[in-house]
Amino acid sequence: MTSLTWTRRRASVARFWRRYRRRRAGLYGLGALVLIALAALAAPLLVGGDVQSVTHAPGTALEPPSREFPLGTDQFGRSLSGLLLWGARVSLAVGLLAAALSVAIGTLIGVLAGHYGGWFATVAMRVTDWFLVMPSLVLAIVLATVMSRSMWTVILAIGITSWPTTARLVRAQTIAVESRPYIERAKALGGGHRHVMTRHVLPNVMPLVLSQTTLCISTAILTEATLAFLGLGDPTVVSWGGMLQDARETGAVSSGHWWYLAPPGIAIAVVALAFTLCGRAVESVLNPRLGAGR
Amino acid sequence: MVIMAPHRSLRLLLATGTVAASLLTTALAAGSPARAVAADGAAGADEGDGKTVLTVAVSQSVDSLSPFLAQRLVSTSLHRLTYEYLTNYDAKDARTIPGLATAWKPSPDKLTWTYTIRDDSTWSDGKPATAEDAAWTFTKMMTDENAATANGSFTANFEKVTAPDARTLVIKLKKPQATMTALDVPIVPKHVWEKVGDFSKFNNDKQFPIVGNGPFVITDYKVDQYVRLEPNKTFWRGAPAFDELVLRYYKDGDAAVAALRKGEVSFVPNLTPAQAASLKSAENIKVNDAPGRRFFALATNPGARSKDGKKFGSGHPALLDPAVRRALFHAVDRKTIVDKVFQGHAVEGEGYIPPRFGTYFWKPEGAQKIDYSPARAGQLLDKAGYRKNGSGKRVGKDGRPLDFRILCHATDPNDKAVGKYLQEWWGELGIGLKVDCLDNVSDPWLKGDYDLAFDGWSVNPDPDFVLSIHTCGALPATPKDTGATDNFICDKQYDELYAAQAVEYDPAARAGLVKRLQSRLYDTGYMNVMAYPNAVEAYRTDHIASITTMPAAGGNIYGQDGYWSWWSAKPAAEADGGGDSGSPARLWLVLGPAALVLLAAGVFAAVRRRTTADDRE
Amino acid sequence: MTTVGSPAGAVRRPGTTTSAYPRYLAGRLGGAAVSLFAVLVTSFFLFRIIPGDPVKAMTHGMPTSAAQMATLRRQFGLDLPLWQQFTDYCAKALTGDLGMSYQFRAPVGELIAQKLPATLLLTGVAVVLYSALGLWLGTRTAWRHGGLGDRLHTGVALTLWSVPSFWLGLLLIIVFSVGVGPVPGMFPTGGMESGGDTGLAYVLDVAHHMVLPVLTLVAVGYAQTLLVMRASLLDEMGGDYLTTARAKGLRDDLVRRRHAVPNALLPTVTMIFINLGHVAAGSILVETVFSWPGLGGLFYQALSVPDLPLVQGLFVVFAGAMIVMNLLADLLYPLLDPRVGR
Repeated sequence: MTSLTWTRRRASVARFWRRYRRRRAGLYGLGALVLIALAALAAPLLVGGDVQSVTHAPGTALEPPSREFPLGTDQFGRSLSGLLLWGARVSLAVGLLAAALSVAIGTLIGVLAGHYGGWFATVAMRVTDWFLVMPSLVLAIVLATVMSRSMWTVILAIGITSWPTTARLVRAQTIAVESRPYIERAKALGGGHRHVMTRHVLPNVMPLVLSQTTLCISTAILTEATLAFLGLGDPTVVSWGGMLQDARETGAVSSGHWWYLAPPGIAIAVVALAFTLCGRAVESVLNPRLGAGR
Repeated sequence: MVIMAPHRSLRLLLATGTVAASLLTTALAAGSPARAVAADGAAGADEGDGKTVLTVAVSQSVDSLSPFLAQRLVSTSLHRLTYEYLTNYDAKDARTIPGLATAWKPSPDKLTWTYTIRDDSTWSDGKPATAEDAAWTFTKMMTDENAATANGSFTANFEKVTAPDARTLVIKLKKPQATMTALDVPIVPKHVWEKVGDFSKFNNDKQFPIVGNGPFVITDYKVDQYVRLEPNKTFWRGAPAFDELVLRYYKDGDAAVAALRKGEVSFVPNLTPAQAASLKSAENIKVNDAPGRRFFALATNPGARSKDGKKFGSGHPALLDPAVRRALFHAVDRKTIVDKVFQGHAVEGEGYIPPRFGTYFWKPEGAQKIDYSPARAGQLLDKAGYRKNGSGKRVGKDGRPLDFRILCHATDPNDKAVGKYLQEWWGELGIGLKVDCLDNVSDPWLKGDYDLAFDGWSVNPDPDFVLSIHTCGALPATPKDTGATDNFICDKQYDELYAAQAVEYDPAARAGLVKRLQSRLYDTGYMNVMAYPNAVEAYRTDHIASITTMPAAGGNIYGQDGYWSWWSAKPAAEADGGGDSGSPARLWLVLGPAALVLLAAGVFAAVRRRTTADDRE
Repeated sequence: MTTVGSPAGAVRRPGTTTSAYPRYLAGRLGGAAVSLFAVLVTSFFLFRIIPGDPVKAMTHGMPTSAAQMATLRRQFGLDLPLWQQFTDYCAKALTGDLGMSYQFRAPVGELIAQKLPATLLLTGVAVVLYSALGLWLGTRTAWRHGGLGDRLHTGVALTLWSVPSFWLGLLLIIVFSVGVGPVPGMFPTGGMESGGDTGLAYVLDVAHHMVLPVLTLVAVGYAQTLLVMRASLLDEMGGDYLTTARAKGLRDDLVRRRHAVPNALLPTVTMIFINLGHVAAGSILVETVFSWPGLGGLFYQALSVPDLPLVQGLFVVFAGAMIVMNLLADLLYPLLDPRVGR
């Protein structure tokens, strides 16, 4: 039985991949992501943890790009190329975790509201609606201001403010799934709420959750950069948004130090774009009705 | 239904257009009346040509134009420019010189001060400024608590203020007060201000020009956009040379610097080292790097407490050990901070008061001085019983590791940068440090919930205030109250010295006491000044031919203790009003993109119509 | 606003309902009223959790005596118990009085009214422009989907959408304000006006200041409209009724324009309304970068004090705009779409 499920799952993954492979944009996005993820994982080997040290900084302040420092140095004399690589770890981690948190909250509320219905659904959807009309950046800024400056604050602020879209989508999907006849059958066979939700509903909303997560990540990475830029990130951690904020605080814009300002912004844009491309490809594979050549 | 469709989309487009148009007109309509007022305010001045304008970039927004409410530097600087104070500070060496008062004298019992008010100062509406105005201003602050919001601390010790005649002002004190020649209180015209009802709500920003007697008169103000001032032609010291002074608001420092490069503004303060470096090579721009009036210090929590003896807060107990504090300061390389963080735009920290105030400056010598020596720091800690454990961390006898928190201002890049260095220096010693950056540090600070903190104050020519914040008297009454205390320091010896200087009217003797105070503060080891940041600013030499700095030799321009800089500024010969880009050029820059959009829309419409025409055949 | 919500995911369709329009209308109006009230209440409590005594924060670093602080506290009504502050706040809010700003000593409503035109002008123009651009390009790309132009436009739009708006703004300042190489600094670095102009010169001056911020907002924002328009048009183009229309002998592009485009407009219109709702809050970043004297800057300033009444007031305005625009979208939707609500 389990091996049968396993084979079936594997077959559907293979089918998914065959379809995904046909979306060229999605492949580009995936390729870029794999490269960036590898670079981020290998950062300790490539540049070493010392790259963040200010007391052992190898260069002088704000050097333009040279052979030794391909992207120049920051105000402490640290190599910007090293920091960019190191910052990828934080930016990606924050993006992934925040998106995961957001989608997790959204899925939980969506499934529960869809499954139980009644007053619970009414209340949950009212709350969701309330969050939907809240300007989420404003809310995130407020949350980040209230809590102390740390990476977790940023993750929490993004996660808490961006879940409502997922919740609505998942709820709709849950209702659709539960109206299928085999759920009736499962219930008749004595499957409890828990069984129905985890065994039947969850696997069926998973594709939706997957594409939603991918799209969420690029938003989360952009929001992280935004919060860091507004000075709401953790100043002791190097992230791309934080690098932009540092660049602005040192006056790189008016001093014409484009090499300090350009790379982190480009990096953010590339990663956000890559996730968006992947997300759109996943969405069009899983939901062909939307996918008329999107 | 289907046939209706084209209409619907057309209606939609129309609606979109209408919304755009109405938004545009609303906003413009909302803007234009204010403009009209501004034009009236600038009555007589011929628009644009031949008028010399000095534009100053500011980053702080004005909190209030009422001298009774204003607390921010930008607002108090404006008041310095528009109202005379009793006394002023000499641009050369910051000693007290006549302002509205020409002479002053304490009584032998030190409790009565008599000021002679000058007879050549008139309000900008033509009425003479008299002792009656001064007496009314002070009395208002003493009797109406809403009027004491900004400067009430100056009059807290006043018994009575009277004006026996138009030229004589008499202030009776409850107890002697050494700051009587440094009363930084704007004197306002009684005949204007006595009509004000609620001082807590009156912002002095409805009627322009604002009546004053300083070198400038405020003629127009738009929140977060600009403050416009014109010279007071009847100013007793002589009218300023520029035809107009504009304080223009820039949220972003880089935008201000870019505006300076383009000549949109004439002066920019608070440059970063990188901006200063890049502006040095710019044409027609002079970078002014002057000794600052701030100190940048490390404060350690000495165990927060209130006057009733109750202890509160969560300061690390190890910091109560003088050896630990000394070790921490030994491991701070002040030279590196000046060189790396400030890129040389600062002076290494010594005593409490910056060297700019030469009369009061004191520095530790010889054995008293805590110099940079990580080795010495290690020895001190070893001796005090904080040894490294297996993983290289210092642990106290109680088993609690030396892990400290430091409060940092999230908006201050220097705090964050120095925090990084401290983390590494102290980390090598085996001491952990968590840099806690907040927008609003005052809350944990006042609750005593910190181990260390970045501390800094701007010092006035009279040091009384910055000294007073370390006395036991400044502690909060109970843990629930707020005191004026900076860092909960309460030291008997310090208090005695402070009390002695506060009643000492002889300047030399007082300076001696102030130096001993600083020496005592240094020895308590609760504060360590790391650097005195410079004031780094830049101005356009093709706008400003000359300007007085303070101190006159190598001093700063923005935020002076007097009005010297803007009052003394002389326009450069070719100054043409702050580089206004010509209207024709601007017309093209606006019309260009607009024309492109129209063109695109036109082509779109044309294509549409053509195809529709095809369909009709 | 461009940093939240996926480009295609923000569209919210009201549930299909079979009830008559008046009942639908009443339901939506009621819902909006409840939302507004919820916003009022939560904004009060949400901002009370901001740690920090505003009086202490305001006076920190200034010579202030304990008596002065007590006066300030009394002036701001902070000496009252929380429940009383709350009832006062609610009572006043119902009469349109949002309280008194701590730092500016002026009524919050007045401060917001002062800054609102600048924000409406900037974001309003930007939303209209990028909606128009997005609609136009979305229609074009859908017509020729799969072609080179489609891929190019979609690619460019997606790329610009992925760019952090503040970063783009800074780059535009470097290139077009400061000037790089042969490019002269053509546009002002920030602010809304140079001051001293009247009449047409003033209008031109403001427009001149608006070019770069509007360009930033349009560049980052038009992708959303483009993608939604494109997707829903493609969706419509697969519809049966188009086949019917074609069968009646209508020409292909006429079928698309007369039948597919109007129907495809619906989700896009909803989204445009939602974007209009974002107008008030939408440009915090761009306003910061370009020193635009609008609500975004005011909000950020108010938050760091914390100037509670001002933060609350702004929050109510931001959320209120969203609620009203959502309501309008909900109300218009059934009128535009025969399949919904009738």
